Amino acid sequence: MYSDLLHALPDVFAWTNFAAVVIGVIAGIVVGAMPGLSATMAISVLVPFTFGLEPLVALGLMAGIYNGAMYGGAIPAVLLRIPGTPAAVATTFDGYPMAQKGEGGFALQVAVVSSAFGGIASAFALMLLAPPLSKVTLLFGPSEVFWVAVFGLASIIFLLGGNPVKGLISACFGVFVSVIGSDPIYGNDRFTFGQLEMLDGINIVILLVGLYALPPVIDLLETPLKTDGVSSSKLGTQSLWKALPRMKSFWKTWLRGSFLGIWIGILPGAGGSMAAFMSYNEARRTSKHPEKWGEGEPEGVAAAEVANNADTASALIPALTLGIPGTAVAAVMLGGLLVHGLQPGPMLFRDNPDIVFGFMWQFLFGAILLVLLGGSLATNSFARLLNLPRPLLGSVIIVLMLIGVYSIHGRMFDVYLMLGFGAIGWVMDRLKFPLPPVVLGLILGGFAEENLRLALRIGRGDPMILFQNTTSLILVALTIAVVVGPTLKKRYIDSRKKA
Amino acid sequence: MKLTLTALVLSLSATAAFAEYPEKPVEVVVGYSAGGGTDVMARTVAQFLEQELGDGASVVVKNMPGAGGQIGFTEVAGAKPDGYTLGTFNLPAALALTKDRAADYDVDSFTYLANFVEDPNTITVAASSQFQTLGELIDAAKVDPGAITLGLSSLGGNDHFAANMMQDASGAEFTLVPFKGASNARTAIMGGHVAAGTMTLGQTSNFPDELRVLAVLADERSPFRPDVPTAKELGYDVQMSSLRGIVAPAGMDATTTEQLLSALSAVNENPEFQAMMAEQGNPIAFMVGDDFAATAAKQDRIAAQIWAETPWK
Repeated sequence: MYSDLLHALPDVFAWTNFAAVVIGVIAGIVVGAMPGLSATMAISVLVPFTFGLEPLVALGLMAGIYNGAMYGGAIPAVLLRIPGTPAAVATTFDGYPMAQKGEGGFALQVAVVSSAFGGIASAFALMLLAPPLSKVTLLFGPSEVFWVAVFGLASIIFLLGGNPVKGLISACFGVFVSVIGSDPIYGNDRFTFGQLEMLDGINIVILLVGLYALPPVIDLLETPLKTDGVSSSKLGTQSLWKALPRMKSFWKTWLRGSFLGIWIGILPGAGGSMAAFMSYNEARRTSKHPEKWGEGEPEGVAAAEVANNADTASALIPALTLGIPGTAVAAVMLGGLLVHGLQPGPMLFRDNPDIVFGFMWQFLFGAILLVLLGGSLATNSFARLLNLPRPLLGSVIIVLMLIGVYSIHGRMFDVYLMLGFGAIGWVMDRLKFPLPPVVLGLILGGFAEENLRLALRIGRGDPMILFQNTTSLILVALTIAVVVGPTLKKRYIDSRKKA
Repeated sequence: MKLTLTALVLSLSATAAFAEYPEKPVEVVVGYSAGGGTDVMARTVAQFLEQELGDGASVVVKNMPGAGGQIGFTEVAGAKPDGYTLGTFNLPAALALTKDRAADYDVDSFTYLANFVEDPNTITVAASSQFQTLGELIDAAKVDPGAITLGLSSLGGNDHFAANMMQDASGAEFTLVPFKGASNARTAIMGGHVAAGTMTLGQTSNFPDELRVLAVLADERSPFRPDVPTAKELGYDVQMSSLRGIVAPAGMDATTTEQLLSALSAVNENPEFQAMMAEQGNPIAFMVGDDFAATAAKQDRIAAQIWAETPWK
């Protein structure tokens, strides 16, 4: 297998194949940076056009876009508090406060280096460990996936801090949105009001854009005369080489985030946003000064960005070996492989080693290229956008949002839905309800429901099926720890204070 | 003289009309997103259909995913039958969904042009499974009704119908577990989370060391796996498969229909097309015109019967 890996290398350096990766990374950063355009959408638009391309050109473009977009999403997250992709939500926590403090340039540099680190780690996992890691995926049947989803929801509600009751309400709203559409087993319509457009449920991008992009835009337009606090003169840009030494202490966070990202990537379904949240939580939990988090801690940006890039290549492990993609982006990439007659499964590695392993190399080079292309592109061009007058900037973002949401399925219905979510998001924002649980509630709620019902069917209605093996029990224990852990810790500290 | 002139004008205008089609791009509506099996077939057919229609004809694939293909099927059924809107058609899925919900079309809403792919269902277990033969699996299901779980790609599709027909033919009772898509069902079988499944032969082909195909639900053994017996040979007369073809709206005029039928037949005879389809792992089962319509009518009856006896929602 490792000789196949080396054998595939020369083809990757054919200039068309390499140029595809470069173009992909640039396009990915741009797409990721636009609120409303996501990697999933960019790749699904691309797939039909790749029909006539050489496989490695097509796959190189996709690998580049995926890597680029996972970082690109950080740019508006840092500069405007608008996550460009669902996976960049956690980047807003500390990235935006940094930008407000005049450290936006450094935040973007931390994001790009962390993204590249995560992407490189993930590419190595894909290249060296794909077959053994696919065995791990096989351990996760319906009951295990159900617990993964429950664990993910519990962590976001109880670990993210703030008010757990408000967090729970937000998560419930997200789970409610996940219920809309035809149910996963029988296909009965739920809350669709007879609209064919709602039968497939609510697309995550529609919710994300509505909740996250509209409220900041309203803010921008509410105070049109206020000069922006984050203009590029205050971006605090310095050369990447000068910035690197400041990131030395992040290595633990990077390793932990990469590990979490790779791990979550190979599990069916959860994907980038969950990886970023978990990594952020873990890094904050182990930090020496957790109280500074959320107020512009560079390590928070590092934790989120390393993890959301670390699941890119690893999400392809179950996609390539089993045909089940670990993220929504990997799902459309699988389509891109099918277009070229590349059917997932062990035979893919035997029949088309040059293409499969070449694709893996392209992931690695895509991640490396991020450092070269990402930093300069973001600070030199996107950051300049902030020099625009506020009404103009707000209008540009609104136009992008409308185009992005319309182009998902090419229908106005989705645009109206997005505006509705925007109104809800604005109200929630004003009432200080946290928005991340809504996003994760929508992503994980559907998985939790579908897999719970499948597990109960397998168990012929007996709920004990959910506790029947070690993997499930470990996940149950982790969930309980997450729910009661913070309370116990607080009591312990309080009792120590009294004594 | 006048008569000859009229005849001349008529024949001229007839040839003119004939030569005119297609005077604008022909759309092939695919009810699924780009990159799926149906989409890849549509793009392959479109590429060769362009050549056969000649005169710089252009055939464009248009993806209209959603509602299990219903949005696309509805679009084709409601389009003008002028030959400029064609669509991919999946059996039994396209007609099965007219049973379990209100749909704006039925079996008579289409002009059946040509079917290209037929992929038979199977009974498949993991390679590590204790069941070596179909008989063993069915015996186990009879001993403890419901103890054997069958992973399906969905309810109301060919996997589900195959399982239902197998239950009827054998008298065994399985617990049906509808996953989201064939790959999830396959992974659950490989991971031992369900005992067996009814996925199509094509979906097993890339996992020769991980899966054991116990039987093919077809009339004859598959040329891809001649070692696997048919269920019929083993005493269970069950046939079910997934079919993919091209249809047009009902009521298309005879000239255009004829032109498309002959063009699609020519596509099928092209060795390059055959090679591309084989490379994609698509087993070709070409049926044209009335044969295709008869198969659709038969699938419609099966779906109606299963819906009447054991409604799945």
